[in-house]
Order: sequence, then structure tokens, then C-alpha cells
Amino acid sequence: MNQAAVKPLTVKSYFHNIYEAVTTVFKGFTITTRYIFAEKPVTIEYPEVREVLPSNSRSRLYNDVENCIACNQCATACPVDCIYIASNRRPKDAPEKKASDGTAIKLDLIQYTIDTALCCYCGLCTTVCPTECLTHTTDHEFSQYTLDGMKYDYLTPEIIAMRDRIVKK
Amino acid sequence: MSYELTPEEKSESPVKEDKIKSDILTVNMGPQHPSTHGVLRVEIKTDSEIVTEAIPHIGYLHRCFEKHAENVDFRGVLPFADRMDYLAAMNMEWGWCLAVEKLLKVEVPRRAEFIRVIVAELNRIASHLMFFGTYSIDLGAFTPFLYAFQEREFILRIFEELSGARLLYNYIWVGGVWNDINDDQLKRISSFVTRMEGEVEKYHNLVGLNKIFVERTANVGIMNEELCFDYGATGPVLRGAGVNWDLRKNRPYGIYPEFDFNIPVGTGEKGTLGDCWDRYWVRMREILESVKIIRQCLDGIESGPVMGKVSKIIKPPKAEIFLRTECPRGELGYHLITDGNKEAYRVKVKSSCFTHVSMLPAVSPGLMIADLVATIGSIDIVLGEVDR
Amino acid sequence: MLEEIVEAINKKIPEANATLNKAEIGDSTINVDSKYILPVCKFLKTEKYFNVLQVVSTVDYLPVEEKEGQPAQEGYIEVCYILASYSKNLELILKAKLPRGSAENLPKIDSVCSLWSAANFQEREAYDMMGIDFVGHPDLRRILTSQNWEGHPLRKDYVVQEVFNGMVVNPPEKMNLPDQQFGVKNNANSMSNKNPMGM
Repeated sequence: MNQAAVKPLTVKSYFHNIYEAVTTVFKGFTITTRYIFAEKPVTIEYPEVREVLPSNSRSRLYNDVENCIACNQCATACPVDCIYIASNRRPKDAPEKKASDGTAIKLDLIQYTIDTALCCYCGLCTTVCPTECLTHTTDHEFSQYTLDGMKYDYLTPEIIAMRDRIVKK
Repeated sequence: MSYELTPEEKSESPVKEDKIKSDILTVNMGPQHPSTHGVLRVEIKTDSEIVTEAIPHIGYLHRCFEKHAENVDFRGVLPFADRMDYLAAMNMEWGWCLAVEKLLKVEVPRRAEFIRVIVAELNRIASHLMFFGTYSIDLGAFTPFLYAFQEREFILRIFEELSGARLLYNYIWVGGVWNDINDDQLKRISSFVTRMEGEVEKYHNLVGLNKIFVERTANVGIMNEELCFDYGATGPVLRGAGVNWDLRKNRPYGIYPEFDFNIPVGTGEKGTLGDCWDRYWVRMREILESVKIIRQCLDGIESGPVMGKVSKIIKPPKAEIFLRTECPRGELGYHLITDGNKEAYRVKVKSSCFTHVSMLPAVSPGLMIADLVATIGSIDIVLGEVDR
Repeated sequence: MLEEIVEAINKKIPEANATLNKAEIGDSTINVDSKYILPVCKFLKTEKYFNVLQVVSTVDYLPVEEKEGQPAQEGYIEVCYILASYSKNLELILKAKLPRGSAENLPKIDSVCSLWSAANFQEREAYDMMGIDFVGHPDLRRILTSQNWEGHPLRKDYVVQEVFNGMVVNPPEKMNLPDQQFGVKNNANSMSNKNPMGM
């Protein structure tokens, strides 16, 4: 199967092989030498120099819970089921609350947790959010020491404090 | 600890007892190896330096895509489909979307068809550049790796602006594409493809015509036409054997019939027909053909919407379909069976890399170990697609 | 085109009982009897130019209990051989029905490895994922899962084993159970009281 027809080695082909080897390797050397002297380096010296990611880059998620109407669309759309939502009906005599684009909020959010270690960063949850409170930000440096640290509870004040730093609008 | 095989382990070994000779050495090219392009284990039985048998063991990256697809709805399958062949994710998504659109009879707008062809061909260029870089490293040439990655970086940056991610896009959706592309990006793609033609010429002079590379890859790992048809090989492996077969020309999908391009076929000019050099040269020329297709797309792209009319919950009727598309590594087929629910009933993926790995035991007897490394690199497998 | 192939098969091998299953949406398929799969495939390869076997796909149908208006249906497994002819640019889906069998008594069908070498890995995957015994296969063992895995994952009634090689599969502390049951415990409206990925 792998016994190809090997050409017999004559004196002429021996010297032709040497000539071909020298010329092709020399041609390769001209290409690489040009890179030493004529081309500019393209390396970005991370972490002193950071690259600016495009604005629709799908990195860390952020949910603005003040505008969330607890419709559960993001939890249904998620292919790996990493969003955990629980909500209560607001009592009838509670004051009216509205999201930033005018939709009335009828449910009280008591749990909104995303397990970012399970999340696959596909973006399907952000496309179905009707008030656009769930967005992807461009923050990509968020590694933790423990796996529990990757579960973000968006109702706690520490996570809400991230908002100004990472959400750009 | 004893190194004897227990009776259970002996019975599950594929080697029959009377074939073991006393001077055959078993070398394990283990799952962690820089040259196997992923987690592939090859059990090599060698007689001094000549390989007598090479048995591939796969399954180290098996994530059971087919079972996930039965539990997630049709839009949610796309992130899973991306992760099969992660270096050519756009083509994986396109195959799935085509299969579902055929069952739903959804019409895709013209602009979306043009964008799909542009991103799929750009992804083909990126995948072949990755092949060029890693194949050179397998054979010991460390320089072309970074040259190829510098060009590939431009493509990944364009994809990040379009879809939001560099490698696993979730961009081609059922009914169209997710985001629109603007004129500035089209201009940058146009200048990139012009530069790419000069780069392929440069890479061919640096690596392809180099006498050392030719000596290592010509007449090595010969997969001729008969072997390819027996095993069902497709893509550059089949075209390197001299067969003029490409799904974009023979069973076209999308708007490929409107474009004018050639199919590069191996000719055996440096050695025999169907050796590693032929497969390498077929892939390099495919980059040039993709450049031709992208240029025609950029000239003819029309304006309009990028998403067709698809209902919020996708529920195809009870039907069955098998559809193949041409991916950089071969033909990817989806055998999709639906029964009217929100999720598919059964999805079977026909992956080309799985068939190419099965050809290794037939091709390897008689090679040396270094030639085996060159052969495995030239069939260009990605273990995500082999194991799914 | 498919009708001619069905007629040719029935003329050559009448016991195979080839029938055409025409579909308006999607692909039409040819059903044959599972005992005569080897002569039918040999006929298709030698005389009808189908020299490439692309994939061996398997589908599991559970038994359906009797409901009003609908009789009870037995469960069965379908083995689909998808053939292609590159010289004539044709594709064909060939199906054979098998009983579901049980863990000790797997359903049996003849292997087509002698006709196409592509069947080697494809049939090993069908055995691993669906539990079909291919009679005459040179080396039938598991390919994608580990050699000592129990069960056949793509069956519809598959439940994953509890312990594998001394490790606990799906350990409870990694399943995020407190987060999933938060809503149920606090008597609230909650969507997330199912396991990840619906399994």
C-alpha cells in the first residue's frame, strides 16, 4: 500500500537533489530575513498594554435588577440552564413600579443567580430579554479562586457595585 | 505492582495472541501529545522503526452532542453545534440551520445568504491557515506557525466585531444571521483577501517547495482513490487522491451556483497521487479559491434584512432529512428526525474526521514513526468533531 | 428514481420485502427486512453503483401504551444505512427494523464490514450508543465511551450509572441544588426546579 515507486538514485539525480536543496532553503531564508529587518512586530505586551475589545463582545454578563420584570425568558432560552430565577407576585396595594422603558413590573424578584462557570457565553439570553436589562459586557478578567465564587447573585450590593465599572452605555 | 495483564484485560485487547512476536515494541502516542491535534491516542506497534500496526483510540472528548440535541430546543442546539469542530464553527452552524430551514420551508433573505457565504469562506481560510501552521510545527518548522496565526488574527477580529466571540460564534441562526455587517467591515475584508493571495505564494515558497518538506511528505501516507471510496473519505483527502468532487459544485446549497470558482485536485506532481504533499497543496489552493468567492460576494452583496420570518417557537412537522455541507475538513452531514415537538427527536452527525481517523490502520503499515506523524497531521483532524 | 431501485431489489431478492416510504417534506426512505440486509447491500454496491457508505445511524422508538382510538405499539430500533454514489450523484437511506431486546439479549443484525470498510467504526459507534450486536464484525467493542461503561447512552430509557470507577457521577454538591430549590422553599414562582440540561 505504501510502497511507492522509488526512482533509482543516479549520479545526476544525486547532484540535482543537492542543488535543489540549497536553492529552496536559500529562498526560504530570504523570506525569513525580511521579517527580521523589514516587518514591524505585532505583539501586544499584555498586561501592560490591553487590547480594546469591540463593544458587542460576549464576555461577562450583567443584569440590571431594577429593570428586570422576571419574565423567565432568559432561563427558558439558556441551553445549559445556568440561570436561577424566583419571584413573588406583588401585593395589590403596593406602589406601582415601572422599568426604564415603561413596562409595568408585576413581580418581585427574590432570586436572580447566574452560575457563570456553567454559562457558555452564547448570548441567547440577552437576545430574548424584553427590557434589555441582561447584557453582555466587555469585562473578561474575572477569574476566582473557588467555584462558588463564580455564582453571581445579582441582588447583592457587591455585584450591583460592578455596574458603573463594566456596563457602558 | 505487577505489569502482567489480567485475564479480563487480555480478552479485551484487539491483538490476537499468536500475532505477538518477541521483537515488536508497543509505543504509546498518548492522549496528551503536541502532534495529535487534540486528545487522540494511537497505539503503535513497531518493529525497530517501521510501524506494523497503528490502532487509534478515541473518545476522550466525547460530550454526547446527540443526546444534548434531544433535550434543548432548535435554537439552543447552535452553541452545542459550534463546539464540535471549533476551528470551523460557522460551517457547523450552517449545516444545522439548512436542515431545519428545509423542514420549516423558511425563506432566507438574499443579504443573509451573501453574509453566510462570506463568513463560511473566511472561516475556511482561517481553518486552512491553522492547518498550515500546525502541520509545519509537526514536521519541525517553527516559523510558519506565527506567520499563519498573524493572518488568522485578522479574521478572528472581524468575527469578534460581527458576532461577539472569537471562536464559537453562534452567528448563523435559523432563518438568517444574527447581526448585520457594515461597509467598513466589508472594506477591511476586501483589503485582507488581496493581501492573502500574496501570502499564500510566500508560504508556498517558504514551506511547500522546500526540499526538506518535500522529502518528508511526498510518497508518504498514500491514500488512493480506491481506499478513499472504501472508507468514505471526503473533502481534501478525497480531492488529494485525484477525485473531482466538491459539494459546493456537485450538490450546491445556498447561493453557491452563482459563483465562479475551480476545484483544486491533487495531481501527484511531487510524488505519488494521494500523498501528504498533495493534500497540503490542495488546501493551499483552496485558500485562493475562497479568496475568489469572497471577492465575488463583496461585489454582488445586496441590501435588505438579514433575518427571515421564523416563529418564536420552532416546531417542524414530523419528518426526516439528511443534509451534507462542505466544511474545511470534509463533509458534515446531519441526519435529523423530528416529531412535531419543540426539540428534535434524534440527531445523528456524520463527521468526516471520524472516517478519516478510521483510515489510519490501513495506511500505516510500512511507514516510519516520523512518517506516521506527518500522515496524522495531513488528514487534519479536530478531535471535537471526531468524538462529538 | 427510488421506485426503480425498490423494484430492482424486489426482483432480485424478493424475501427482503423492500417498500418505499415516500415523504412530502424531507427525504424518502426504503425499508427492508433486517435478515436480508447483507444481500441487499451487496446488490446495491455491485449493481447500482452505491460504493460509499456514509453513516450508520440508529433511532430508538419506545413502546406506546394503548390509548383511546390508538392501539398499543411495540417499541423497535431502526438502523439506517445512508449510502451514496459519487459517480451518479445519488443518495439513499436504507432502513431496517429490529426489536429493542434487553441488556443481556441485544438485538442482532449482520455486519456489512465485508462490503465497506467504513462500516467498522460506524458499527462500533452504533453498538456503543444504542446497543445493537453486529454479527460478523471483526472487532466489536466500545469506541466513544470507556470500555467498562454500563448501559447504552442514546436509548430513550437510559439512566446514567451512579458510580463509575469509584467516582460518583453527578455529585450532589456540584448540582447547584440550593439555587434550584430556592423558589420552591420560599413558596415563590420559580422556573428553575429542573436539573441542568433537562436530564
